[in-house]
Amino acid sequence: MTQLFLLAAAEQSANPAAGIVELFGRFGVDRHHLIPQLVNFALLAFVLYRFAIRPALGQMEERNRLIAQGLADAKAAEQRLAEAQKAADAKLNAASDEAARVLAEARASAARTVEAAKSEAAAAAAEVLRKGQAALESDRVRMLNEVRGELARLVVDASGKVLGQTLDDAQRARLNEAAVKELAR
Amino acid sequence: MPVSARAEAKRLLALSLEGGAVSPERVGAVLSALTSSRPAHALRPLLRSYLAAVRRELARGEARIEHAGPLSSEQAAAVAAHFSRALGRPVRAAARRNDALIAGFRVRVGDDVTDLSAAARLDALARSLSA
Repeated sequence: MTQLFLLAAAEQSANPAAGIVELFGRFGVDRHHLIPQLVNFALLAFVLYRFAIRPALGQMEERNRLIAQGLADAKAAEQRLAEAQKAADAKLNAASDEAARVLAEARASAARTVEAAKSEAAAAAAEVLRKGQAALESDRVRMLNEVRGELARLVVDASGKVLGQTLDDAQRARLNEAAVKELAR
Repeated sequence: MPVSARAEAKRLLALSLEGGAVSPERVGAVLSALTSSRPAHALRPLLRSYLAAVRRELARGEARIEHAGPLSSEQAAAVAAHFSRALGRPVRAAARRNDALIAGFRVRVGDDVTDLSAAARLDALARSLSA
């Protein structure tokens, strides 16, 4: 090819017009057939443009449009994702705050429950102590009464025995006389 | 039948009293009249009720005196007189010695008991000390 161009350039330097014609002729361009070739080329170009290039361009434009649409959608999706992420973060923060609040309330409630249980246990212990003291006091009084009753019974029994052994008939007669007088009153 | 027997026994008891006290003669007359008027098997419930009524009436008219130590007949008569006045009917004394009473006496007239014994006073003292 390089040699062909060098040869054409050498011949052109000798006769430029003839060289150009010859050069075109070597490439198949004939001045007698140039117009039909141009027409043919134009027809070919039109047909190619009409049935090949334009549909291809349309498809390319459609594809470009789809790509742009996809990019736009992707961008919108990314934006929505960012918004969703932001909303999720906000919700997460709110949930975290709510959880912290609930936890604080639960701790406070637990503290109140513990305090109430402590108070109740203290009251129950006091009640048990009071009942125990009352039972002890009751037992003490009962035992004192029993001892007092037993002692009184022993004293009375002993007194009765002593009286029965020491009283003679004369004394009993005087006592009977006193009882008759008491009955008459 | 038992109800009517009691009612008839009560009526017969009223016929057996003389001066407010059971009279043996009247009791004998009542029994003679009963045995002559009815067969013995028909009289059994009535006679039981009559016997119970007579016993109750005798108990109402008797002051059973339990006493510790000697109790003279005058003292027993004084006791009976007291209950005769109090109850408005004649009461006779029936004394029995019981030295477990220590001193004094206990009188039972019917269902009423009057205890003036030292044992009763000691028992009351023991109860008051135990209370």
